[in-house]
Amino acid sequence: MSRGALLFAFNSPKYNYYEMAVYTAKRINHFLGLPVTIVTDESSIPNTVTYEFDNTIIVSPDKTNIRDHSIWINKGRYQAYDLSPYDETLLLDTDYMVNSDTLLKTFDLSTDFACHDTTSFLMHPGVPQEILSAYSYKTLWATVIMFRKTLRAKQIFECLEMVQNNYDHYANIHSFIGGLFRNDYALTLALRIANGHADRIEDIIPWNLVHVGKNTSVYKNTAVELESEYTVMFDNWQRGKIRKEYTIVKDTDFHVMNKDNFMELIA
Amino acid sequence: MDTKQLLSDARARFNHNSTKAHLKDKYSSKLIVADQGGLWKATPEIIGFLSSSTDEFVVLVDTFENPVMVNRITLHDVLYKTYNEVMFLWFSEWKELEGKR
Repeated sequence: MSRGALLFAFNSPKYNYYEMAVYTAKRINHFLGLPVTIVTDESSIPNTVTYEFDNTIIVSPDKTNIRDHSIWINKGRYQAYDLSPYDETLLLDTDYMVNSDTLLKTFDLSTDFACHDTTSFLMHPGVPQEILSAYSYKTLWATVIMFRKTLRAKQIFECLEMVQNNYDHYANIHSFIGGLFRNDYALTLALRIANGHADRIEDIIPWNLVHVGKNTSVYKNTAVELESEYTVMFDNWQRGKIRKEYTIVKDTDFHVMNKDNFMELIA
Repeated sequence: MDTKQLLSDARARFNHNSTKAHLKDKYSSKLIVADQGGLWKATPEIIGFLSSSTDEFVVLVDTFENPVMVNRITLHDVLYKTYNEVMFLWFSEWKELEGKR
């Protein structure tokens, strides 16, 4: 039974996702002891390769998604099932900071597909959970997905492709803003469709996905490459003034939503 | 980071509520254990039940709300060990951070 992690990384005009993937892969190797396969395109691979992935899979990315007047290459995640060389795969966003072996527990789950449905924000406890729209479902998160090569998992990814191809239609039905494709929303719909329009508690990773959200910045506490202790700084706006607050986190995995902050961390 | 930013951050206050919430999140995930075909959260309640029963096998509802038949002593030992290890780590990290200002 082979196990490994899969990262999708396509450079955009603004961010070097390949570089992010290298950084994340090193952490996956170190903290999870797993090999990492990258799915990328020719133009993202640097001239001098400093890190050897377990496999490098070249695909043609779909560049039709636009966010903040810039290309956001996040489509095509449904290909993970066919592209993964592993029997058991952890599919992670490249900006997910692995700092512990917690994710290995997802392989203990008896299901063949698992993702997060609940998030918490560092420095912002009690933020309401995101929903697709006022009349729709609680959002599932595509940031961390564990899947096994089974027929059911294959169907979920096929469903993900179907939702991607008909995204505006689903946006219309579920009253969320179409146009900008989000894997989280597509996953929310795909998993529910594949499960017969029902919730299946076994498909949910039983702990929270930790986000570093807006007004929050993370700083490494030392210059050690595989550092797992950080200071998290939060700008708390009160009566028109910023009050700086901080905490210290260690051995905790988190998703850095601010790409500029992630690039600072890997610099 | 520039000097202005450094000075501003130096005046930052430690947020105890966020830290408490974060530690709860962090260590709650570590209390989850897969054993004997079920997924369990090591809590004093389940450990107490497993301690008090005298049967070799018991049926318990796991985290995913499935009834699972388990060897009582085996599950007890796994959960007890996990609970103690995790709670001591939680306690020591909280002690280390609670004095910060």
